[in-house]
Amino acid sequence: MSAVTKLIKPNLGALRQLQQYRNIVNLSATAALRSRNELFSQEQRRQREAVGRIEKIEVRYLGLPEDVTLVMNNHISTPYNCAQHLSEGHCKRAALALIDGTVPWDMHRPLQESCTLQLLNFNVSEPHLVNKAFWRTCSFMLGAALQRTFKDEAKLELHSFPGPNIKSGSFVHDIVLGTQSWEPTKAEMRAISAEMVKLSAQDLRIERLEVDKDVAIEMFKDSRYKSEQLPSIAQQNQGRVTLYRLGEHIDISRGPMVASTRFLGKCTISAAHKVASEGAASAFYRIQGVALPSGFTLNHFAYGLLEQRSQKLNSARLPNEPFEEQQQQQMQLS
Amino acid sequence: MNQADVSKLMSQLRIAVRPNKRHLKNADGPEGRLLKLRKTVTALVKHERIELFYNRADEARGYAELLISNAIRHGDRHKSTMEMADYWLLEKQLVHKLFKVLVPRYENYNISYTRMFKAPRDYPGIYYRKSVLELRGNPYPVLTPDNSQNRNLLHNVLLDEARKEFRREKLTNLAQKLATEMDKVNPGLTSTSDHTTNATEQQYSQGEQPETKL
Repeated sequence: MSAVTKLIKPNLGALRQLQQYRNIVNLSATAALRSRNELFSQEQRRQREAVGRIEKIEVRYLGLPEDVTLVMNNHISTPYNCAQHLSEGHCKRAALALIDGTVPWDMHRPLQESCTLQLLNFNVSEPHLVNKAFWRTCSFMLGAALQRTFKDEAKLELHSFPGPNIKSGSFVHDIVLGTQSWEPTKAEMRAISAEMVKLSAQDLRIERLEVDKDVAIEMFKDSRYKSEQLPSIAQQNQGRVTLYRLGEHIDISRGPMVASTRFLGKCTISAAHKVASEGAASAFYRIQGVALPSGFTLNHFAYGLLEQRSQKLNSARLPNEPFEEQQQQQMQLS
Repeated sequence: MNQADVSKLMSQLRIAVRPNKRHLKNADGPEGRLLKLRKTVTALVKHERIELFYNRADEARGYAELLISNAIRHGDRHKSTMEMADYWLLEKQLVHKLFKVLVPRYENYNISYTRMFKAPRDYPGIYYRKSVLELRGNPYPVLTPDNSQNRNLLHNVLLDEARKEFRREKLTNLAQKLATEMDKVNPGLTSTSDHTTNATEQQYSQGEQPETKL
C-alpha cells in the first residue's frame, strides 16, 4: 500500500524488542512532551497560588431541581464545584456551563465574579453552544488520538483545527505527515477511531489554562507549526494564549470545550485527505470524522449516511493558506 | 427425527430470559413465592404499569408474556388456557380484560407484549435494584425521551444537513442532465436551457423527498 501503512502501531501485542527499540527512538519526543506537561502543571499551580486571600462570590444557580444561591470562592470554584453542591447527576450530565445566560464557560474553569449559572447538557432545548463545544472537543480529541496512534517514524506533527462547523458534517484536524502518499486503509482508520473510543472510556478531564505568550512559546518550542501560529494568536487575545490539556496532550484552542472525554459516544474517523505537499518529503493531511454525544442512539442506517457524508473533504480553511485569515474566519464562525 | 416441534406445542417467549438466580425466596416456601408472582402479574394486567423490585419484575414478566401469548393462540374456549388465566389473575374480572382488551390489542404484534425499564433506587433506601414493568400500548405518557422532535439536537442537525445536501446533489445532477439534453436538441442555445432547468428545479423541490429520517 504505502510506507505509512507500516507506521501505524499494531493494535495487538508487538514484540518487546521492537518496543524497546522504539523507546530509544521515542526518548526525545517523550522528553519534549514531559517538559510541556511540567510547564503546564507548574503554571497551573502558580496561578492557583497567586489567588492569595480568598474572596467569596454569590453564584445564582438557575435550573432543576430549584433555583438556589451558592456562596463560592472567587478564582477557585468552578461550575463543576457548583454542580457538586447540587447532585451527582448534575456533575455527570453537565457538559458546559452558561454564565449570565449568555457566556459559555468550561466546567473546570474557575469563576471570576458573582454571576448566574446554568448547566447545559446535550438534551436542552437550545443546544447550539454545547453542540459547538462538543464538536471542538472532538477535533481536539482527534489530535490526541492521532498522537497516540502514529509511531515516531511517521513524523506526525499536528498543525491546527479550524473552528467547529457542525453543518459541514465532519470535525477536522489538520496534520503533517512525513510521507507524500498516504492512502489509509479501512483498518487504519478504524484504529484511530478505536483510540478515540479508548479516550472516551478513560473519562479524562479536559483542563483549561490561560498563559502568557512567552510561556506558550516555551511550551511549544519543539513544534514548528505551533510556534509559527502562537504570535498571531497571542496578538489577537492581548498577549494571552488559551491552552487545553487532555491526559498528556496539550493544544491551543479558543474553547470552550465539554467537561470530559466521557461525553463522546459513537465516533467514526472516516477519511484522511491529502491537502497539499509540504517540502520534499512531507504533506498536509486533513483528518475528518463524525461523532455523537454519549447517550444518543441512532440506527445504523442513519449513522451510515452521516459517515458517508463525513468522508467528503471538509470545506473549512486549509492549513497551507495564510494563518491570519484563518483566524479571522474562525472568529466569524464562532 | 420423530421428536415433536416444540415451538408448535408451546408459545415462544419474545423476551430474552437470562439464566440468573432471582433470589425470590419466601417464608412460605414455593407457594408463597408463586403467590407473590401471581399478585405481580395481576397488578400488571390491572394497572398496565407498575414499579417494583427488579428481580420480581423480571420473573413475573415471563409469566405475563406466556399468559397473553397463550390467550392469543388458543382464545377463551380453551380449557387449559382458561385454567392458566384463572390461576395467574387473582381478580377474576381481569380474565375478561385479558380476552376482550389485551388479546385484540396484541393480536398483530410481532414484538414482546411487555416492556421493562431500570428505575433509580431511593437513596438512602433498600439496596435492591428497582424497575418499571409495563404493558405495551398502555394509555400513560411514554417513559423514554423523544429525541426526534427537537431539530436542534446534534444528530438531528447532522441528519437535516445530510438531507439538504442529498437533495442539492440530486437537483444539480438533474439540471446537468437536462442541460446536456437541451444542448443535443438545439446546440448553441445555452440561455434557454438555463431557464428550463430552473423551472424543473422548482418543480422538483416541491415533489419527492429523500428518505433520511430517523
